[in-house]
Amino acid sequence: MADFDAIVVGSGISGGWVAKELCERGLKVCVLERGRPIDPSKDYSDHLDPWEKPNFDRISDADMERDFFVQGQYYALKESNKHLFLTDREQPYERAPNQSFNWRRGNYVGGRSLLWGRAVYRLSNNDFEANKLDGEGVDWPVRYKDIAPWYDHVEKFIGVAGDRDGVPQVPDGEHFLPAFEHTCVETDLKKKLETLYPERKLIMGRVAHLTHLSDEQIALGRGKCQARNLCFHGCSYGAYFSSVSATLPAAKRTGNLTLISNAVVSRLVFDKNKNRITGVEVVDRDTGAGTTHTAKIVFLNASTIGSTLILLNSATEDMPTGLSNGSDQLGRNLMDHVKGTMVQGTSDDFQDRYVFGRRPIGGYIPRYRNFPKHVETYKRGWGYQVYSGRGRWNGNSAGIGQVFKSQNQTPGPWSIVLHAFGECLPNESNRVIAHATKVDKWGQPIAVVDLKLGKNEEAIMRAAHQDAIDILTDAGMRNLYEIQKPENNLNGISGAVHEMGTARMGHNPKTSVLNRWNQSHEIPNLFITDGSFMTSSATQNPSLTYMAFSARAANYAADLLQSGAL
Amino acid sequence: MTNSFMSNRRDAIKAMLAISAAGALAACKAGGEANDAAQPRGLVGGPKLTASEMALVGALAQTIIPKTETAGAVEAGVPAVLQTLFTEWGDDNYRMYWREGLKNLEQHFLQTGGQNFAKMVPSQQANLLGKYDAKAYAESGFDNFYKDMKSTIATAYYMSEPGATEELAYEPVPGEFKGCVPLSDQPKTWAT
Repeated sequence: MADFDAIVVGSGISGGWVAKELCERGLKVCVLERGRPIDPSKDYSDHLDPWEKPNFDRISDADMERDFFVQGQYYALKESNKHLFLTDREQPYERAPNQSFNWRRGNYVGGRSLLWGRAVYRLSNNDFEANKLDGEGVDWPVRYKDIAPWYDHVEKFIGVAGDRDGVPQVPDGEHFLPAFEHTCVETDLKKKLETLYPERKLIMGRVAHLTHLSDEQIALGRGKCQARNLCFHGCSYGAYFSSVSATLPAAKRTGNLTLISNAVVSRLVFDKNKNRITGVEVVDRDTGAGTTHTAKIVFLNASTIGSTLILLNSATEDMPTGLSNGSDQLGRNLMDHVKGTMVQGTSDDFQDRYVFGRRPIGGYIPRYRNFPKHVETYKRGWGYQVYSGRGRWNGNSAGIGQVFKSQNQTPGPWSIVLHAFGECLPNESNRVIAHATKVDKWGQPIAVVDLKLGKNEEAIMRAAHQDAIDILTDAGMRNLYEIQKPENNLNGISGAVHEMGTARMGHNPKTSVLNRWNQSHEIPNLFITDGSFMTSSATQNPSLTYMAFSARAANYAADLLQSGAL
Repeated sequence: MTNSFMSNRRDAIKAMLAISAAGALAACKAGGEANDAAQPRGLVGGPKLTASEMALVGALAQTIIPKTETAGAVEAGVPAVLQTLFTEWGDDNYRMYWREGLKNLEQHFLQTGGQNFAKMVPSQQANLLGKYDAKAYAESGFDNFYKDMKSTIATAYYMSEPGATEELAYEPVPGEFKGCVPLSDQPKTWAT
């Protein structure tokens, strides 16, 4: 008799969704989370004013070198929220020589759902057909029509502020909440862009923030977004979607959820005769004590690299290269979005206008190259995140006394930034492997990551950079400033925190790990719905897609279990 | 809770300023750095900015951001923030960078003004520092420390309660976002 109907490994953005759906279907669910239990009243730091955060909330060089040399590459890491991040000391990993991949990871129940950028865009059917049409990777075994109802399901629950733009690259949802407003310069750029290049659109960013409350969200204790933009400190209003604000409370209220934190999963127990995963071995984060939990089905939601490591580390005599790795694709096809280009332009206009409040999202220019047809020398494309605002106070400028005070008291000119996220092609040689000898403090072999910037990715980065310069120039912006340049970012792919693809879905068990239901081709009671299932990366911020596939797979698994098929 | 925390912190800042000023006075009388050892004890962290260094930092900060109709850098507690950065946040490299940088500045003003910067009258401070500041921004690489220090002073000031809420505008809970409103509604730079 199994302890649970289902075990979900990981309580982040995808694991939370699996837990909610399975619990609501009446299954007894155990969520195993390696991070610490979270108490928003203590662990969130969004109530602090700037002067209540010593040393400008910056982490000291000594702490940075010891604990956060990778995590500190991100702007979100602050002294007051650093406990939300796993320390690099506890998360050793290696990179192939001269590569830059930075692995960011959460340290708490809720995982990176507390730290994400909250931008939510649907993939289009063009994205699901891309591999088939241009021959890269393998064909997605799913099309847009299969996942569209699940995008609706997820968007309704999480709450998405956004406009129905009618842009086919990023299909509209049925349940969008009122969008945030554009700034003056965004509205201006939008007009100019769409006049000069009718196929390019500037839309308001779609973001998982509540600008209106449904009864269900009120019942979960969530509140409206207050436009503070302190999201990385945790949100005491529960206004942005996270596992902590939404899915875990929804799972808990069913009475079917058991959540175990400080539980570092070491391996899955595989019964060769039954061809099933029968249990999950766990090491207590603090005591090192071992436990085995059993369940009828297992979902891996430990993040792309985390889930891959668990399967690699669960190798048996019969599956010596890792569980569910008959295809030899486990750990391969690692992808992340290509960044490395960011260009800013300054406007002389709208000197008599300003903003009120702090918007937690920017604008967005969805991919327009090679859409809908492939015409460029490179494949696929990119989208731009668009940031804008007026200049802030700036201590590093000439002048002293009243002059200095006055110039800082007056807002600077408007500027606008285009920041590309480019598509990464699946490539079998980009991969995660388990280190042959080195282990972490819980005895788990550490990851070795090899994520090269391929020719296509480099071409995308360079084209995106040139297009950004052209767009801003054509729109009449001046003082173009290349904040990031492609030539400085040729060492691998890093920075988007969108790693994915190492247990891809596909039609064929010989070339893919998962079937079209996120179910292992080889082990029917094993499902993976974190980013590792992604067959291609597309250009959109991927979390919404992880959530939609998680909800779909969880309901499929519940169907199988409840019909007796599993 | 926040209010009592704040007033405690303000008291602490005031206390530190008083101590620094007293120390600076003592250092000046002795005319050297020997008296710098007589600095307040019992505070956590590594080596501290000495009394004469604090006097210089305070005078530089107040000359860059003087008291006008709003608080100046000293009223906003900037010297204490710099001291905390120096003692608790920075490492030895940071401390050496500041110590060397301040020493160079002190030397420069001794030569150009004939006395310690902190002892000059405000008009002389503004005159000499104004020239130095102009040169620092006109000539690349002239004194990077000065620019870093100035940036740190400004950050400490604009992130302080009077800097954020009186000199600039601060709204902890805006409640909504408006993307294009008349500047005349609120003409000051937002602190955050």
